Amino acid sequence: MAVSRINDVGGQTGFGPVPLPERDEPPFHADWEARVFALNSALVRRGVYTLDEFRDAIERMPPQDYLAASYYERWLTAIETLARDKGVVAGE
Amino acid sequence: MTAEHATLPVAARVRRLEERLIGAGLVTGEELDEILARYLATASPVNGARLVARAWADGAFRERLLGDANTAVKELGLSMGGGLQEQRLKVVANTPRRHNVIVCTLCSCYPIALLGPSPGWYKSEAYRSRVVREPRAVLAEFGLRLPEDVEITVWDSSAESRYMVLPLRPPGTEGMSEEQLTGLVTREGLIGTAAV
Amino acid sequence: MSKPAYAPGDRVRTRAADPPHHTRLPRYARGHTGVIVEPQGAWPRADDRARGVTGAPAETVYTVRFSARELWGSGSHDVTVDLWESYLEPAGEDR
Repeated sequence: MAVSRINDVGGQTGFGPVPLPERDEPPFHADWEARVFALNSALVRRGVYTLDEFRDAIERMPPQDYLAASYYERWLTAIETLARDKGVVAGE
Repeated sequence: MTAEHATLPVAARVRRLEERLIGAGLVTGEELDEILARYLATASPVNGARLVARAWADGAFRERLLGDANTAVKELGLSMGGGLQEQRLKVVANTPRRHNVIVCTLCSCYPIALLGPSPGWYKSEAYRSRVVREPRAVLAEFGLRLPEDVEITVWDSSAESRYMVLPLRPPGTEGMSEEQLTGLVTREGLIGTAAV
Repeated sequence: MSKPAYAPGDRVRTRAADPPHHTRLPRYARGHTGVIVEPQGAWPRADDRARGVTGAPAETVYTVRFSARELWGSGSHDVTVDLWESYLEPAGEDR
């Protein structure tokens, strides 16, 4: 049986019904989500990291953290991880 | 390295990260504002809907859209090049015998420029895991019940192509203007979880 | 960049191994036989770019179609997956 990273969910059972479409869903549910979106765009555009490195950073989250995190919380964690890994921000 | 910061309320974590990145000279506040403003102003499912309406109204455009979508979208002043990297756009046409539906099982890839921000359901583990395995049941949850003789193709956006569905033109729309046709097309139709 | 190894209609088998790094061959499609729909163009592999490999050569990406029966043992639908050439190997006619 093949094993893979936690993001690789195609065919996995147990996730239940698909969430219903949200009426007039806004692009972001909170200001911080929009800031995270913008931060990622800016950092990729500037060449600080690639989109592939970004996806890899999300995939390296511990499985239970990945599943518990919201979509943009995953993005935030990935940016924090890459900022640390690349030494652009002091580790803490 | 500790994970202390991870327990801060998330908005505080974001502010802190932003401050550090600005302080390190890696981004500016103006840049972030400009990115957001441009995104919110340009990315919309109306763009995809306009392409569909034009394809319904103009058979030659339809063929160009299906053959080389990156070039064809420019005829309507649209582009796949406005984001971080120009992606290859592939438009897949529904027929009376075949229905198409799009997913990114590995993350949530999606043609934002043409469909607008991706909806929560598209990004959910439930959709990503189930639509490749039981598409008919997933579509039924959206209220789309396809006849058994309609075959389903699920397109998993696992590399650098982004997909958009060209829905079937609904019956009874023959007299409509392109603008009226545009108004019929929903984001779900462009992803494949609705008929149009 | 060398020319595409596969043409539309070719039967191919995906690699079965599970890499320890970022890859874009989903688990459900590993070790399965499919058919080339079309080549899409060439890009550096996501596996390489994710590991910071600079100057990785562009490699052809293909749309590959799998039947539900092949992937899940049952079902009547098809799934297409976009796969880099090095994820694939030729499949024999009798597989």
